[in-house]
Amino acid sequence: MLLRLQGIEKRFGGLTALRNGNLTVQSGEVHLLMGENGAGKSTLMKIVAGLLQPDGGTFEWKGKPVSFTRPADASALGIAMVHQESLLAPHLSVAENIFLGREESFWVKRREVVARAAKLIEEHRFPLNAEARVDRLSPAGKQLVEICRAISQGSSLLIFDEPTSSLSDAETAEVFKIVRTLKARGMGVIYITHRLDELRSVGDQVTVLRDGATVHSAPMADLTTDQLIRHMVGRELSALYARQPVEPGKVVLSIEQLSVPPLLKQISLNVRAGEIVGLAGLVGAGRTELCRAIFGVDRCSSGRILLDGKQLRLRSPQDAAAAGIALIPEDRQRTGLATARSIGENTNLASLDKVSRLGVVDHAAAHQVTTDFIARLRIRAESPQQRAGRLSGGNQQKVVIAKWLARGARVFLFDEPTRGIDVGAKAEVFEVMDELARQGAAILMVSSELPELLQIADRILVMRAGVLTGELGRGATQEQVMRLAAFHDAPQESAA
Amino acid sequence: MKLTLPGGISLQRLLPFASLIILFVGLSIATPNFLTETNLSSVIRQTAVINIMALGMTMIIIAGGIDLSVGSILAFGGLMGTMALEKGQPIVVGVAVGIVAGMFWGFMNGLLTTRLKINPFIVTLGTLGIVRGITLIVSNGLPVHNIPQSFSYLGEGILGGVPFVLWILLVCAVAVHVLLEHTKLGRYAFAIGSNPDAAYYAGIPVAFHTVSVYAIGGALTGLAGMIEASRLMTGQPTAGQGYELQAIAAVVIGGGSLRGGEGTVVGTLIGAFIMGLLSNGSDLLGISPYLQQAIIGAVIILAVTVDELRKRRA
Repeated sequence: MLLRLQGIEKRFGGLTALRNGNLTVQSGEVHLLMGENGAGKSTLMKIVAGLLQPDGGTFEWKGKPVSFTRPADASALGIAMVHQESLLAPHLSVAENIFLGREESFWVKRREVVARAAKLIEEHRFPLNAEARVDRLSPAGKQLVEICRAISQGSSLLIFDEPTSSLSDAETAEVFKIVRTLKARGMGVIYITHRLDELRSVGDQVTVLRDGATVHSAPMADLTTDQLIRHMVGRELSALYARQPVEPGKVVLSIEQLSVPPLLKQISLNVRAGEIVGLAGLVGAGRTELCRAIFGVDRCSSGRILLDGKQLRLRSPQDAAAAGIALIPEDRQRTGLATARSIGENTNLASLDKVSRLGVVDHAAAHQVTTDFIARLRIRAESPQQRAGRLSGGNQQKVVIAKWLARGARVFLFDEPTRGIDVGAKAEVFEVMDELARQGAAILMVSSELPELLQIADRILVMRAGVLTGELGRGATQEQVMRLAAFHDAPQESAA
Repeated sequence: MKLTLPGGISLQRLLPFASLIILFVGLSIATPNFLTETNLSSVIRQTAVINIMALGMTMIIIAGGIDLSVGSILAFGGLMGTMALEKGQPIVVGVAVGIVAGMFWGFMNGLLTTRLKINPFIVTLGTLGIVRGITLIVSNGLPVHNIPQSFSYLGEGILGGVPFVLWILLVCAVAVHVLLEHTKLGRYAFAIGSNPDAAYYAGIPVAFHTVSVYAIGGALTGLAGMIEASRLMTGQPTAGQGYELQAIAAVVIGGGSLRGGEGTVVGTLIGAFIMGLLSNGSDLLGISPYLQQAIIGAVIILAVTVDELRKRRA
């Protein structure tokens, strides 16, 4: 027995990320850790790797209880993690990164370091050059460096945090080969993934997390894909908001064969006036990237974006905003709001020329606009002068919406509009979205909260690895969405 | 377009060095007064102070930091050292005092940045004022004059036919180069500047190494302060004002990145000498010192632009 976690808990402020994390990993076993976005997989693994400290539960390593305060504590005991975003020093060589932090003496013999790294790379026949600078490597190359690091540390447990999400098919195959080799050498491997279809051949054991708790753990062979999906999505449906669908009007936003390197391929979709279209998919499916492309942040390599049937040339968010497109981004704090500025300033930010004369801001007019929106969107604030950053998550979201309404936007792209918002405020955000739709706005909504998406959206488009894999109407089930999002290529399997 | 020489060295990489050579040859042709022993010695002496400071700055910038207080530290080190000499201490002791005094403030800068977790730009902007203030208070605003005549050898002496400071500069440059390229401290400085999270997760004592780098930078600045004092034969409490910008400029012209993780000793030396030659050449050619400032400013922007373009293409 390598690792045993029991009843692990972790809270961030008021938010519970893990309630009851259980996981047991043996030596020479490839253990798949599965679950929806936000199920707590990454949090649990960060605890194992010493990046986070648990608030409760027991953590046993090779039969002895342990607790880590720093990542170095975990690596000293032989636990290593291959991070989604690589934790390497880009200006240093592959060799130096492999042995970083473990130099034995004051003098560093760089030629020796390179030779040691080259030997290690040779031994495993990795496609790596020990002397190359890390910032010249592909994402897969960077992961290989992290894997080398782990092997060279003599790790007995290696954690992969969704390593294939940024890799090409050939690179993915390469990673699997490496995983098999590590397994054959008696290492334990934990592999976080959404993409079970690729992993049938590698995985021995699977543990499913849902809403911060382990719901199922079994040998891979005992589970069919259908059973797995049921374990993953069994999230409770709380009656958040029942929306009366509107009769949709004419097509407002239309996307034809849009490709945006490196991820998005040949995306086509329509959104009509009064319609809320949900965009479902797992992390890395390309939903945020699609929103960014429609908003002019990323340039498309081919395809067209049309508004009211007229093709748009979007070179920047400025062009998109002028055309009447609004993006309510995922990370409000960073790209949605000027958190240090007032509600009033944020509300008028995108439409200052409407409340200005000859370039001078008419503060009375701006104030009027702000108070109108505070009333209309029921923003709970002390005054229009209150700093936006001090509002609750839901009210912050409303300020972002007000900003775009003031600008006269007709197409709204909501990227995870309810992230970090409490249940009450969620309902209010939905109400606002509903109202926007009733007034004829076209809404595209990205959400990882499937129950939410199923309730609020008129149609659901599902993405996987940069392509649209399907469309579902009202009354779709979580299982249907999950199948399209995670297992699109999976061959139909008979029950084992 | 990417020009590559045999051996895989891209031409852009050699650009600073090539510019220095071109500048050197150009000035030799343009004015007969340039290529004389007197003039070249004077260029070396003038550049040595900035150069030695810039070596320390190179380490600090590589580690992702910056030190705006070096001008003040230079004055403080020079003052402390010359005060020791005034009290009758031997010259070696006086120079050591200057170095330790500089090191102390470098150490403080490092400590404040790592402990308070405040941006080094702000911390050293603060110590720039604090150290200058203390220097002026201690000296009562008056320079230290009473120094043994033999002290002038440090800045003005000649050894083996070249200015003595050139030897000091070479020793410091080799030491910093070896430190950066072949010791744990140097490699960690690169790692910390390159990606502080990666350094932390690799188990590197980030704070310890950051403080060490600032302290070494301070020590070199203290030494530069003593050289400056020797050249002026006074301990000037107002010495070194604006030197921080020249030191930073030398590092940046030499390919150092203010985002950390990049920089070389050779690059910095070239950077400092390019600036030294520009100002010396302008003097010889009778270009007004007002215009000189503008030229050097333009060269900084040009050098960094070329370097950025190279990196973007790479």
